[in-house]
Amino acid sequence: MNAIKRLRKLQGEGKKIVGCFPLYPPVELFYAMELVPVVLWGLTDAHTQTPKSDRHLQNYTCFVARDLTEFILTQGHALLDGIFMYNACDTLRNLPEIFIKETKASGGSLPLIRMHLPMSPQDQTDSSKYFNDEINAVIRSFTEDLGTSFSSERFEEGIRLYNRMRKLAIFAQHRVARGRMGFLPFADTMRNACFMPVGEQVSALESLLRMYPEDSGDPNDSKTDTGVILSGILPPPPSIIAAIESAGMRVVGNDIASLHRSYADIPAPESDPCEYYRDFYFHHTPCSTLLFSGDRRLQTLMDMVDKTGAMGVIFVGEKFCEYEYFEFPYLEKELRKKGVKTLRIEISMQDDAHAGGISSRIEAFAEMTAS
Amino acid sequence: MAKFKKTESGRNLSRILSKGYLDLHTRASQGAFVVWIAINVPAELFAGFENVVYGVPESHAAMNAGKGVGAIQCEKAERIGYSMDLCSYARIDIGCVSDNGKDSPSFGLPKPDLLVSDNNNCSLLVKWFEVHHREMGVPHFIIDVPFCYEPQQKKDRDYIIAQFHGLIQTIEKMSGQRFDPDRVSEAVASTNQGISHWKRFLSFAGHRPSGITAFDSFVHMAPFLTMRGTSEFVNHYKLLADETEQRVAAGDFPVKNEKYRLFWDNIAPWHQLRNMSDSLAAHGANIVGATYTSCIGSVEGSFDMYPYDGGDPLEYCARTQNCYICPHGLNLRSKAMRQAVKRLNIDGIVFASNRSCKPYSVTQMDQQRTMTEKLGIPSVMIDVDHADVRKYSRQSTFTRLEALIESIAAKRAA
Ligand code: SF4
Ligand code: SF4
Repeated sequence: MNAIKRLRKLQGEGKKIVGCFPLYPPVELFYAMELVPVVLWGLTDAHTQTPKSDRHLQNYTCFVARDLTEFILTQGHALLDGIFMYNACDTLRNLPEIFIKETKASGGSLPLIRMHLPMSPQDQTDSSKYFNDEINAVIRSFTEDLGTSFSSERFEEGIRLYNRMRKLAIFAQHRVARGRMGFLPFADTMRNACFMPVGEQVSALESLLRMYPEDSGDPNDSKTDTGVILSGILPPPPSIIAAIESAGMRVVGNDIASLHRSYADIPAPESDPCEYYRDFYFHHTPCSTLLFSGDRRLQTLMDMVDKTGAMGVIFVGEKFCEYEYFEFPYLEKELRKKGVKTLRIEISMQDDAHAGGISSRIEAFAEMTAS
Repeated sequence: MAKFKKTESGRNLSRILSKGYLDLHTRASQGAFVVWIAINVPAELFAGFENVVYGVPESHAAMNAGKGVGAIQCEKAERIGYSMDLCSYARIDIGCVSDNGKDSPSFGLPKPDLLVSDNNNCSLLVKWFEVHHREMGVPHFIIDVPFCYEPQQKKDRDYIIAQFHGLIQTIEKMSGQRFDPDRVSEAVASTNQGISHWKRFLSFAGHRPSGITAFDSFVHMAPFLTMRGTSEFVNHYKLLADETEQRVAAGDFPVKNEKYRLFWDNIAPWHQLRNMSDSLAAHGANIVGATYTSCIGSVEGSFDMYPYDGGDPLEYCARTQNCYICPHGLNLRSKAMRQAVKRLNIDGIVFASNRSCKPYSVTQMDQQRTMTEKLGIPSVMIDVDHADVRKYSRQSTFTRLEALIESIAAKRAA
């Protein structure tokens, strides 16, 4: 079932749906307000071209933003009850007004609620109070715009459920690492899960884990493959994943923003949302989009390499994503110093046109890494 | 043809800029505390210290582009792995640092003790300064400025002010120097005085024919980036405005046969200033104003001057943090542009879609439609990279500019 069908199903069930971007929205908070948050990425199978978006965004904006715009302008405004966004990159911050204007022009209305996530490092400026006010303002806005109310009990229940989902995602990732399941079914499940209420996300991951059971416990199981880590904003398209795995490489870890960087953090349960989210964001797994986390990024990647025994890192560059591209040269240099091989591929989720050329580079990389 | 007579203000500009770079290197070598800043970081704060000097990588990159070495510097960055899709200012700067300022007209900038970036013009700047932070091992202070869709809110201003205090404390700690707030008040007052002359200079665009071209304003922006809060800053803009006033009074205009008055949206195409100005003038066209230079000294949503009232200088600095075009949204941009287009009697707008600067360019397509709907004036979208000449095609640019001129003429004839 694609993203649109899942959203229609939720709508049919009478759920109030909040479309969120970018990748780390305060989902438990929405759960506490009886809203279903859906993180708007991986919408590509909803459409193959972006004609509406092309009227607003130049072709040098990343496909993530164009895909999101296409979705909101075509179907999103009829399927969502509201949009939530926090500050991210220079492209995304310019989109809300386009969404509001176009939704209005088509006779609809879509409440858009924003939060500013402080990007200054906490050891430079204590932004706790500012951030608390932002969280409280989000609660107020949803209450006013969507007629919902916040419940502490539901908030704690939301934390339990989302943490369960995160733990299951980590289990599934381990199974990929051990060769018990391919990276594709894992990435697909995670993408589909974005368009489900958290309870269903948990069920989907449980059934994935049942489908690909744990191995015999023999640590040498599937050891013949060369371990690599994938790093980027989104997982690569299926053809690239297939090329990686058929070249004899196994994804032993991922530093993908929509995957590991999204589920790696399991903050301690807490009834006060302000405190919970200070912990969640300020100690978040480093991500190129969280400006305050820059100093921890390399070490986190190095730790992942050590822990997984990866021989190489494949950087999956989302074309035109400056956040990621500024970090690649330094990360590549430092990894190579440690003897870890690196490969940078550039993709635009829209087309598989260059998949052939990329596959040959992946094969060459696999040979080099294995040797 | 546009006149590029060397004016007194032009000579003064060359002199103060050369002296500025020389002084920066000299004082750095004599032990001054050196800060590299993003252009929007309030440089007046450094006046509060006895011996703090600052360099501005963006301004230095623009100078490299203007002097024809932008592409050389970009290539150096690309060779060490920085994608050609990244902002060309960043590539120029990273390329320049990679070989210690070789090929730079100012021999680069002296090595910093502290990097201060902000994310109001773009978040990319923070990533760019992070590159130096990692490669040079120099501390990096990040000022986080919330983007605004409506006029800046007090909660955001207070948050910005708190960060300014954090920056001041950081410099005190690192440099061992004491901060004197009175000196900052004086510097802000000087900036305010200089800006009032700048606004006076820009106002001569309202004359028919225009007393200035936007290209003049691009060239004379540099002191705003590197000399705010100083007496040179005030004197330079006074000289520029006075001289322009005299030239207008004497009937000396840059495009005497001005038939088409255009408005520019985006960063200056540093590598094409002379070429573009001359070619347009040959058609009787003059780009008389630009969002890029009009926003200086204002607040979001208007190009009118936002005066300093003599109160808390940090409050004033924080209030003006969203004034440049990139740190605020489409509606505010559109409001200010409409006001300028009406005030300057603009015939057509040139939207320079700049793949090197997404924060300026994303929304331009909507902005273009809004201008057509609300004002009914013709406009054109051209492709430009502000500092990387390799990504610029003169032929396709001029085909479009000529089409714009034709459509203005056709509209008049109708
Ligand atoms: S992929 Fe990069 S540029 Fe695109 S929306 Fe995400 S952070 Fe922004
Ligand atoms: S992307 Fe634009 S705003 Fe950012 S540094 Fe480059 S030119 Fe300046």
